[in-house]
Amino acid sequence: MTARAVQARPSSAPVRVPAVASLALRHLFVSEAVTASVLGASSHAVWLHAGGDVLVVSTRDATRLPNGVEIAATSGTDLFASVAHGAPAVVGPGSLEFGSLGVDLVRWWNPRPALPLTTSEELGVAIGGLPHSVPGVDSGALRSALDAASPEDLIDASVALLGRGPGLTPEGDDVLAGALAAIRTLGTALGSRPALAMLDEAEGALVDAANRRTTTFSAALIRCAMRGEVAAPAGGLLRALAGRGDVDPNHRDLQRVGHTSGPALAAGIVLGAQSLIEAETTPNGGVQ
Amino acid sequence: MIARVEIHPGRYHDSVRLMQASKALQNVEGITDALVAMATELNLSLLADMGFDMDAVADAGPNDLVLALRAEDEGAIATAHQVLDDALTHKTAPSGGLDAPDPKTAGSAAAVADANVVLLSVPGEHAFVEATEALESGRHVMIFSDNVPIEQEIILKAYGADHDLLVMGPDCGTTIINGIGLGFANAVEPGSVSMVGASGTGIQQMCALLDDAGVGVRHALGTGSHDLSEDVGAASTLQALEALEEDPATDLIVVISKPPADPVAEKVRHAAERCTKPVVVTFMGETTLEEGAGEVLVVLGKPPAEYGAWPAENDDHRPGFVRGLFSGGTLSSEAQFVAATMLGEIGSHEEDEGHTFIDYGDDEYTQGRAHPMIDQTVRLERLAAATRDESVGVILMDVVLGYGANADPAAELAPLIEEAVTAGAAVVVSLCGTRGDPQGRDAQAATLNKAGASVYLSNAAAAREAARLAIARTSA
Amino acid sequence: MSDLSHLLDSEPVVATAGTDMLAESIEQQGADVIRSDWRPPAAGTEAALAALAADGRNKDANATAVERLLAVRPQLVDVSVARDVFPDMTPRTFFHAGPPLTWDRASGPMRGAIIGAMIYEGLADSPEDAEFKAARGEIELSPCHHHGAVGPMAGVTSPSMPVAVVADGAGEGVAYSTLNEGLGKVLRYGAFAQEAIDRLHWMDAVLGPVLSAVLESRGPIDLQSLIAQALQMGDDGHNRNRAVTSLFLRELGGALVDGADAPVDQRADVFRFIDGNDHFMLNLVMAAGKLGSDAASGVPASSLVTVMARNGTDFGIRLSGTGDEWFVAPAPPVEGLYLGSFTEEDASPDIGDSTITETVGLGGFAMAAAPAIVGFVGGTAAGAVRRTLAMYEITLAEHPMYQIPMLEFRGTPVGIDAARVVRTGVLPQINTGVAGKVPGTGMVGAGLVEAPMECFAQAIRALAEELS
Repeated sequence: MTARAVQARPSSAPVRVPAVASLALRHLFVSEAVTASVLGASSHAVWLHAGGDVLVVSTRDATRLPNGVEIAATSGTDLFASVAHGAPAVVGPGSLEFGSLGVDLVRWWNPRPALPLTTSEELGVAIGGLPHSVPGVDSGALRSALDAASPEDLIDASVALLGRGPGLTPEGDDVLAGALAAIRTLGTALGSRPALAMLDEAEGALVDAANRRTTTFSAALIRCAMRGEVAAPAGGLLRALAGRGDVDPNHRDLQRVGHTSGPALAAGIVLGAQSLIEAETTPNGGVQ
Repeated sequence: MIARVEIHPGRYHDSVRLMQASKALQNVEGITDALVAMATELNLSLLADMGFDMDAVADAGPNDLVLALRAEDEGAIATAHQVLDDALTHKTAPSGGLDAPDPKTAGSAAAVADANVVLLSVPGEHAFVEATEALESGRHVMIFSDNVPIEQEIILKAYGADHDLLVMGPDCGTTIINGIGLGFANAVEPGSVSMVGASGTGIQQMCALLDDAGVGVRHALGTGSHDLSEDVGAASTLQALEALEEDPATDLIVVISKPPADPVAEKVRHAAERCTKPVVVTFMGETTLEEGAGEVLVVLGKPPAEYGAWPAENDDHRPGFVRGLFSGGTLSSEAQFVAATMLGEIGSHEEDEGHTFIDYGDDEYTQGRAHPMIDQTVRLERLAAATRDESVGVILMDVVLGYGANADPAAELAPLIEEAVTAGAAVVVSLCGTRGDPQGRDAQAATLNKAGASVYLSNAAAAREAARLAIARTSA
Repeated sequence: MSDLSHLLDSEPVVATAGTDMLAESIEQQGADVIRSDWRPPAAGTEAALAALAADGRNKDANATAVERLLAVRPQLVDVSVARDVFPDMTPRTFFHAGPPLTWDRASGPMRGAIIGAMIYEGLADSPEDAEFKAARGEIELSPCHHHGAVGPMAGVTSPSMPVAVVADGAGEGVAYSTLNEGLGKVLRYGAFAQEAIDRLHWMDAVLGPVLSAVLESRGPIDLQSLIAQALQMGDDGHNRNRAVTSLFLRELGGALVDGADAPVDQRADVFRFIDGNDHFMLNLVMAAGKLGSDAASGVPASSLVTVMARNGTDFGIRLSGTGDEWFVAPAPPVEGLYLGSFTEEDASPDIGDSTITETVGLGGFAMAAAPAIVGFVGGTAAGAVRRTLAMYEITLAEHPMYQIPMLEFRGTPVGIDAARVVRTGVLPQINTGVAGKVPGTGMVGAGLVEAPMECFAQAIRALAEELS
């Protein structure tokens, strides 16, 4: 990434603010500027469609997302006030602009949490009695698929879950995302090769299914989850489950995200973690 | 009916907060009696009066939090724990949006924002009181200030060690935590290499070299320049090493400092050996940062790096000594160490004859002025003086970029470098910066190069070049 | 989870003190930073502050001291007579407000009050006679504070005077105060005319005994509860006491009307007296404060300010950890509004024990609950709020019972830490009345005054000395 001096640059944006961006979005900000458009805006976030990607520009007091750019300002500053659906945006080297706001990327963060190595015993203790499901989402098929480490079953189960429910990220999507992220990150921490192999093989079809069956935004988050890239509070829970940090406060923090997103993500993570333990402790579990 | 008495050691909250929490607990459905308080005599007798079993609190003291509950069932107790957690983490009641006066101490500012790091640059004689307040309220401390008595540093670090809080400093110029730089720091790419350093510019140079080699940095924990003295005994260095060893985001640790006294060096090496992660120890004066960086690349399995260099076009310069005009003390020492192997003795004072390398960050030159990394006035004067001084053949300078440093040092230096080169002197610049630095590293290099200087991203390389240039003219 | 691993797992939130450059570069990186408005501590205190910080006992000691201050439950249990409650009082002993004082150094209002008290006690036939005798040292002067008592303005307490007895419902402590005479030509402002003397006689003959009978009849009155309610009715507990006095009168209520064993015309006079004096409760609020102050005293290593008091010449403070020692400096001038045609020229230096209220989270520390007070002391309502907000910087706690509605019911700043005063330069804010310097003038105005830094600097040095 070429650096931008923090002083004012020649541009039409009168208000400029520094920001930290997810490494998952790096590719959008290294070459020439791309025109994008605003999908929607609130006081906490602006969703942009840039090329095939959806990214969200959010304030510091909103949840930090894996496909997000977080500006160094809180929602109280009302910087997104005049941003309208369909408005143009420019996403370019080191910065992005929409409305009267210029966002300068000065830092990057890694949306994939770094986990210590752990064992299935320790993971089991960490999970304790945390919920592994949410009402209204039938995750039985997903659990079976993960237990069996079967890519085909995983795809089928995902198709059944994707797009179910209202909201920017339907509950079924969140449970699936949580499970996928858990497999990728905790699976790596455990050294669960069958589980990781399942993910690799299912990836292409899963991405297709997500693109076809759910909102663009949610599909983007599913793609991130497969790579182990998650919202910051989910990263905190995954780290805690792997033994770095306290599980309860991290679980509570994730539960507080969104209306249903947080609890669904948390449940998906626990479900995924449980299947990893199951695979480890069952002889021949998951081996094709 | 279940009665439960729990001790939570080391959790302190003021009595008002606890009284409010007690009230909140009493309102929980299924809770008939509740008390949460610090285990002072007064409160313990209250507890006894409420009929609770005092065995559980036999060893409790005024720094321990005691929670006593009488509940109908376990569910109520679980809820009570949740309520207590919320009550104790809730910030002080806001003042209804009214215009409050600014906080007057770092500690009270930290309380307003719930900060976890307090960064002090107050005069040295006042740093201890501020740092103590920060540590006692559970926050880590970075002390940028210098001239803090060593006895105070020892007290602070002992407290920090006891409470799992890191004391960075005194005289700590650089720290990076999760890519965010405190003090003078360069913009780094996210990575999994972390550092512990007693030298700020040492950390900066290592970041710059690794950055040029495509290696990202996670943390760079400054310990302050006195940490590796015998008195302090590497307290913060050892604490930081242990924390980085446990940090899942760190894969390799680099330790940077001037060579410490033998017993302390031994302690550090021993701790490094006990780490399961690879630790590269760079004691400058025994080795160079360039060599240390090279070792890091080997461990990471990367090819050796060729650090950026912008050699000057003009090869013709007058004979004479090397005059080093430095803003970073560590860069000056390292350059001296390297150049001395080629030139022989090098003086450190302006009155010295022959080759001299001066650190203009030293107290002697900074009275009433900002540090030369910000305010180049003194160095610019010395550059002009060196140009006029016919005994000087080569001028060597460091230019340190990054957050906190001068916004455009090359622009200020360029005209004077041009004059120096026109007058016949050779100018070599050790440019310490990363690709992401706000000044624009390559643009700065280009400006300096265009003015006639040879620019090197490696300080050791710049020193070698300066020595080579001087030697090339001595046989003439 | 350990704190150091938490530091490494998250992005730092930084608080700075010192050069702005450091905060600015954090902002440039899009990270979270808050600055403090730091300034060096009062000259000559660095070593003492460092010693306190290094000692390690100070923080816990302060926590203990403020907890004791807040634990008292002041109740008015009786009204008695000075000579009967003070073991150290002799026929020729007068107590006074503020730190120790001698006649030769006393200001106009203080001398006037002593003269008046001498005439009242029959120790002198005339003002000239009284002055002559006082100058010869025939009267022993001792601070009220040394005897568990407080007195507003001159605070002169003599053997025959009725005193309120305020006891701690949660402990053993007791505090005392004279009863408030009202405004105008009254003893506490230095008046010694017959009118003032006659009133004093009525108070010891009627007011005291009637109130005693009322309390006998209806039992003790919880003062804490009245003060807490009054704060939400626009009182500040120091200069504005109309609400708390009204509530008090309601507490006396039934017993005053027909329960108390006293002649009906006396009971009526007492009612009218209190009804006509908006400041009647001040003395009782002060005694309630004294109770907390005494409870918080004597905690080794504590820098909690237990007393702030003025004798018309000096401003004095005491700390919990330095025993009985007074730290004094000249009383500073009051910045305020003057009544009628009075000016600063007419003002006597700051006087009274009423700053005990600021010591326990009232007065200047509760101005935000009583913005109307600016009509009395000057300034703006917003300014009144700011002054209270500034006090949180130098206090150890927020009062659990005295709450300020407009600050979202935040507790008043309570428990002044002398170390923080010295460190931050923020001085305790006091609302006060101003006495005329010519004895007998009465009140000439009211305003705001800051406690002098010198007292706190001395105190901190003494505390550090004590710890070493």
